[in-house]
Amino acid sequence: MNTIPRFETLLLFLARLIRWRVSAIGALCTGLLLSLVLCEPAMAVPSFARQTGQSCVACHAGGQFPELTPYGRLFKLTGYTMGERTNPLAMMLVASATTTQNNDSGPSAPHNTLNGPAILDFASIFIAGKASDNIGGFAQYTNSFYDSQDANGVWHNRFVADNFDLRYADRSVDANRDLIWGLTLHNNPTVQDVWNSTPAWGYPYVSTTQAENGSLPAGTLLEGGLAQHVAGVGGYFYLNKSIYAELTSYQTAKNSLSFLSYGNQPGDTTNPLVQLDGNSIYWRLAYTKEWDAHNIMVGAMGLDAKVYQNDTTTTGLPLTSLGSTHYQDVGVDAQYQYLLAPHALTAHFRSVWEKIDDATGLVYTDGPANLNSTMAKVSYVYRDKYGGSLAYTKVSGSPDTTAYGGLGPQNVPDSERWTPELFWLINQNTRLGAQFNLFTQYAGASSNYDGAGRSPGDNNTTYFYLWTAF
Amino acid sequence: MAVAKRQTKKVNQMNSTRLGLQATVFSAILLTLPACTNLKSSRDVSDPGVPGRVLAVQVCSSCHGVTGESTSPAFPKLAGQQKQYLVAQLTDFKGHERRDSRGTEYMWGFTHLSSRQVDELADYFSSQTPMQGHAEAADAGMARGEAIFRQGIPDKGVVQCASCHGAAGEGQGTFPRLAGQHANYLLEQIKVFQLTDQRPRGAVMKQVTHELSDADAAAVTRYIASLGAAR
Repeated sequence: MNTIPRFETLLLFLARLIRWRVSAIGALCTGLLLSLVLCEPAMAVPSFARQTGQSCVACHAGGQFPELTPYGRLFKLTGYTMGERTNPLAMMLVASATTTQNNDSGPSAPHNTLNGPAILDFASIFIAGKASDNIGGFAQYTNSFYDSQDANGVWHNRFVADNFDLRYADRSVDANRDLIWGLTLHNNPTVQDVWNSTPAWGYPYVSTTQAENGSLPAGTLLEGGLAQHVAGVGGYFYLNKSIYAELTSYQTAKNSLSFLSYGNQPGDTTNPLVQLDGNSIYWRLAYTKEWDAHNIMVGAMGLDAKVYQNDTTTTGLPLTSLGSTHYQDVGVDAQYQYLLAPHALTAHFRSVWEKIDDATGLVYTDGPANLNSTMAKVSYVYRDKYGGSLAYTKVSGSPDTTAYGGLGPQNVPDSERWTPELFWLINQNTRLGAQFNLFTQYAGASSNYDGAGRSPGDNNTTYFYLWTAF
Repeated sequence: MAVAKRQTKKVNQMNSTRLGLQATVFSAILLTLPACTNLKSSRDVSDPGVPGRVLAVQVCSSCHGVTGESTSPAFPKLAGQQKQYLVAQLTDFKGHERRDSRGTEYMWGFTHLSSRQVDELADYFSSQTPMQGHAEAADAGMARGEAIFRQGIPDKGVVQCASCHGAAGEGQGTFPRLAGQHANYLLEQIKVFQLTDQRPRGAVMKQVTHELSDADAAAVTRYIASLGAAR
């Protein structure tokens, strides 16, 4: 028996939630507000637009947030410091409805517990803006209203740290040289990146959280495996709008840095904090060029990380005595944009290769493993209003009975998905969209992937969303 | 199960307290930041203490280029633009009197510029080597464009551009330099003048462009973009 709260009930619930959390986030909000020198009355626009006085389309290609324009990338690289200090608070709401094509087949049915009704999916609060001439940041905390369901069918919410990026940046520029450099503290490898071909801000920009098999069954560590579990301190430079280089070191976001991983904590068996074995190094190189209304980027990135496995049944703590799982990721990516009114076209490509050596014997048991993940996407927006996109995502890897045994008899993650999407920017803060996940392969098979008659197409999802920020 | 839940709740409470403490420390640090101004490389468009030249290279250059030669035709070149014209436009953006869509989307944030900053910004761009032309093949369209630029279209009331903008398209006073400007930007502005009243200071252009066909507008802007020293 499922309990599906009505929309009004959810709003009341949100109000209660804000009261509950006031002790935790109140000091942060109050302190930030007090620190504002040029505080303005809150307006119905997000804080970056308030800071720059510019429209969303200045920084977001065709207004399709969070996809960045060349100017938006410079805004981020210079530490979110262009403009004036102003009210840094903003909020975001996402309401959605997801339907799974075949929700009833197989032993794990239903695959999508809600399957159909519109829900208020999640709400975020942002503290984003410039703090000084060289320091600015972007901090997002999110409440997911349908995070988990208990044995009685009651849904429970979860309030967590989301994207976080605090920067110190400077720019030395004259007719001969343009050097932007900076330092960043953030909580997810690539959340600091300015090209949407990288995972953290990559496509899909919003997607269903409800369908159990609505996403690919595996992904590399670089593609979100450490998100909101780690604290990264990195340095970067961008020379002559041409060469970008960055080096970041990650460690577990705990103790004084636990605000970066809020919601994932040691001792919590449901949401334990991922613990790194030592520091992890991330590197990034990119070459960019602009001509007329076109711009391109080709780049590469890598991550080397050793991760302890957590005891998720009793203690919620890392099993350090078993050693760690070693992930070595290398990726290439590219982006092309054509931005000239009334057209905004963006194409992305990314491929990541991962080598895994699991000393713990808990995740992979059939020897050293490898995983490859590929994403290609093109989107077009007309008059900053009407848009569409088509994405192709694929994952493949070596067979492993432990890692992939639950997917199907082939013990592989190999899956392939097409994602067409149509959207309408009702205004610059609000997007209404329909996104379709179409699987052509799942768990290594194009039919009967689970040995019980379920086909990849049964996992197809239809996802309608309303996304607004204010 | 119940024990595990209690433990989780306790962990959550501890985490909330820790987040509150961390927030307080962070806020204390942030409280001290407003004093940390850096006038030599500030991007603060609301601080009258920042020299116009600094704003030009730190902020304006992001779209218009450090040398005033913008790469994207979405943004006008400013290199060697007439100073009086730049002052007038910045004043109109600041006062939200220029209301064309590109202007509002990108330029309406510059509401706090001081008179001194406006003057210095205009100095910075007007003193640059003038914008360079885009080489075009000599064809019938270019000939038509040149004819409109130099003679206008008398039977339609379209005045020759050269009469106000100069024989070489160099501009004068509040009449902008056109030579070498992006054709796309020029065409967009012709449409703004023709169809709207969003640039009140350029109202004279409404009459000038009223009878200009789309084909003729494309021809004359292509010709104008080719004027000036070649890239």
